[in-house]
Amino acid sequence: MPRRSCEMKTGLQNRMDRLFNRHGDGRAICVAADHGYMSDVTPNVVNLRSTVEAVIAGGVDGILLAPGQALRLAHLFKGRDGPALIVRADWMNMPRLGTSNVTNAVPQRLLINEKVITAEQALSLGATAITVYLFLGYNDKVETIGVDKCARFVNECRRAGLPCIIEPLAYGGQVTGANIVEILTLGARMAVEIGADALKIPYTGDVDSFRNLIDVSGVPTLVLGGARSDNERDALELYAEAHEAGASGCLMGRNVTKSPDPKAMIERLCHIGHHGWTVDEALRGETWDFVRLKARPPLCTGCDLCVGARVASHGNGDYGLNQARLRIESGSKPGQHKVMFCTTCKKCIDVCPTKALRWHLESGAVELLPERCDNCAKCVAICPTQVIIHSEAGLTFEDGRSLDWYPVICDLCNGAPECARICPTGAIFIAQRPDFNPVLE
Amino acid sequence: MNSKQYRMSELLNPADGRSLVVDTSNGLVLGVLPGLEHFEKAVHPLLPLLDGIVTSPGQARQLGPRTRQEAALLIRADWTNALRGADFVLPPETIQYIPLLNPVDGLDLGASALVMHFILGHEEEIEAWCMQRVVNLALEGLNLGIPLLVDVQPIGPRVVLLNKAIELGVSYALEGGADGVIVPWPGTQSFKTIQAMCNGLPVWVTPANPEPDSPELAEALQLGAAGFWLDERIFAADDPPAILQALKALVHAPAVV
Repeated sequence: MPRRSCEMKTGLQNRMDRLFNRHGDGRAICVAADHGYMSDVTPNVVNLRSTVEAVIAGGVDGILLAPGQALRLAHLFKGRDGPALIVRADWMNMPRLGTSNVTNAVPQRLLINEKVITAEQALSLGATAITVYLFLGYNDKVETIGVDKCARFVNECRRAGLPCIIEPLAYGGQVTGANIVEILTLGARMAVEIGADALKIPYTGDVDSFRNLIDVSGVPTLVLGGARSDNERDALELYAEAHEAGASGCLMGRNVTKSPDPKAMIERLCHIGHHGWTVDEALRGETWDFVRLKARPPLCTGCDLCVGARVASHGNGDYGLNQARLRIESGSKPGQHKVMFCTTCKKCIDVCPTKALRWHLESGAVELLPERCDNCAKCVAICPTQVIIHSEAGLTFEDGRSLDWYPVICDLCNGAPECARICPTGAIFIAQRPDFNPVLE
Repeated sequence: MNSKQYRMSELLNPADGRSLVVDTSNGLVLGVLPGLEHFEKAVHPLLPLLDGIVTSPGQARQLGPRTRQEAALLIRADWTNALRGADFVLPPETIQYIPLLNPVDGLDLGASALVMHFILGHEEEIEAWCMQRVVNLALEGLNLGIPLLVDVQPIGPRVVLLNKAIELGVSYALEGGADGVIVPWPGTQSFKTIQAMCNGLPVWVTPANPEPDSPELAEALQLGAAGFWLDERIFAADDPPAILQALKALVHAPAVV
């Protein structure tokens, strides 16, 4: 017999929808701008108003503020299309402890985490949700205080119809590189058992462990960004991986508020979160159906990262730089390098006598149909950049026919070439292939 | 029948005064438990086989609708790290104990009863906090009509005589106002003493071995146990429904005259 529940559109559900369903996709791109409440005075703290205005212009779905700033900046949240206000309901001094990444004016010796306002007070500020910390790994007392505080907030929030976002953090002497994922997963599940409506949590470092964390939590999970990275791509990739793992969005702080262009950063995060764009697409601000590789040879340092990345990203069992589908050659003068890769010139397709080569309909790369190939090697010979190579192993087909080798051809990493992504100098980059249509061609 | 008795009858089958309960609330302390990774998916199929299920406050909110043929909802109202072992990812250095839920919030979640630990054998202040918690929950629960069940946990390093520690825990719980107690099997003589102390209040046994043909289980029921109180390990068993089905048959078997 099917289970039926009495659907009640409570204040809690309405506010969860306001935060997570602004775009109807269950996701929220949010900014944490509460650092002035707990850190030292940094530029993002001083310029809070302009930062908040910029991220709102970028289309942010929610902004986390301290209670005082929530009062002061309330006018920025008005209107049905305005972002959701998330209020920081507790206080802590972790950023000012010894391992902090900021220069401390008044260094702290002990971690303190205290409840500051009630859920009702947050509601009166216009909050759509509150956020509170749950520290694990510092000591038993701090953890217990955190559990107690979170439980009180959950109960207050339930009475007020206000979503409670718990933020488990692994911090302290009990936390090591070896156990941090386990502690974060423990914290996520504990928060849910206490009654969290959603989580704000650091990325665990890889898609699989973060997917597991989200899976065993069962509530919407927002990934936080941590300390600001010098490379904007790193923060976007962190979010893209969390998104791939099933995160319901992000609640990023310094990577947005300390960015030279917070509005653009939010737009990029929104493109990834709401539109499913890749990091490359988000960075260039548009999607391309098909790409080709291009080079700026003077920028190439011959580091061979592209070659290694290309091999590592194709887990076909053949490992070795000789299996790369591009190569770097020395130029005529010292320090000069030639970047040799597939230019999608189509000569191999045209020369193939058995029509074993064609355009891949999705990636736009050259695709081999092995069952048609008779390894005549004409494609290998005609390739102007000489990047079509012999496979190390052969193939045997169901009808008993076999090939000693077959041509290995660049597949453009399924449309997102790893060599261009990893090139530290931009010597290899991708460009759009306008008007390219693999079906017609 | 007052409201507290009414709620107790949701848990204890009125026909025989017995029940089979599974406690899933240790996720509060231990995080993800084997077999309970996906809480609702794991728990819902077992609800028709149970008379009561203990959950954390958070999972009580996630549990979804239950029918009247399914287990009564009991909610864990406290938190302690004493349940963590030395091999846990965050092994306790000092034992902590706190209240987690008050009876009003428990009623709001639809609880038929609140459940709390009584920890014995750790620092003296832990016992004092447990005692304080029993009295507070019992008195607040009296006004609201919500029963309090106390889970006696003689797990500290200073426990010397286990069966006597269990008797002591039951005594403290009863003196503090508990409406029922949960105990590890303390042996025949101690269980008789406990039954005498409880004088009709329900006493559940947490079996070390939940095999239905265990002589310990049969003896507990024969001596008047209100049923069995299983922990989350049941979810890691090969066939939890089969075990629970057999235990249910044992607990609710017609009395042999």
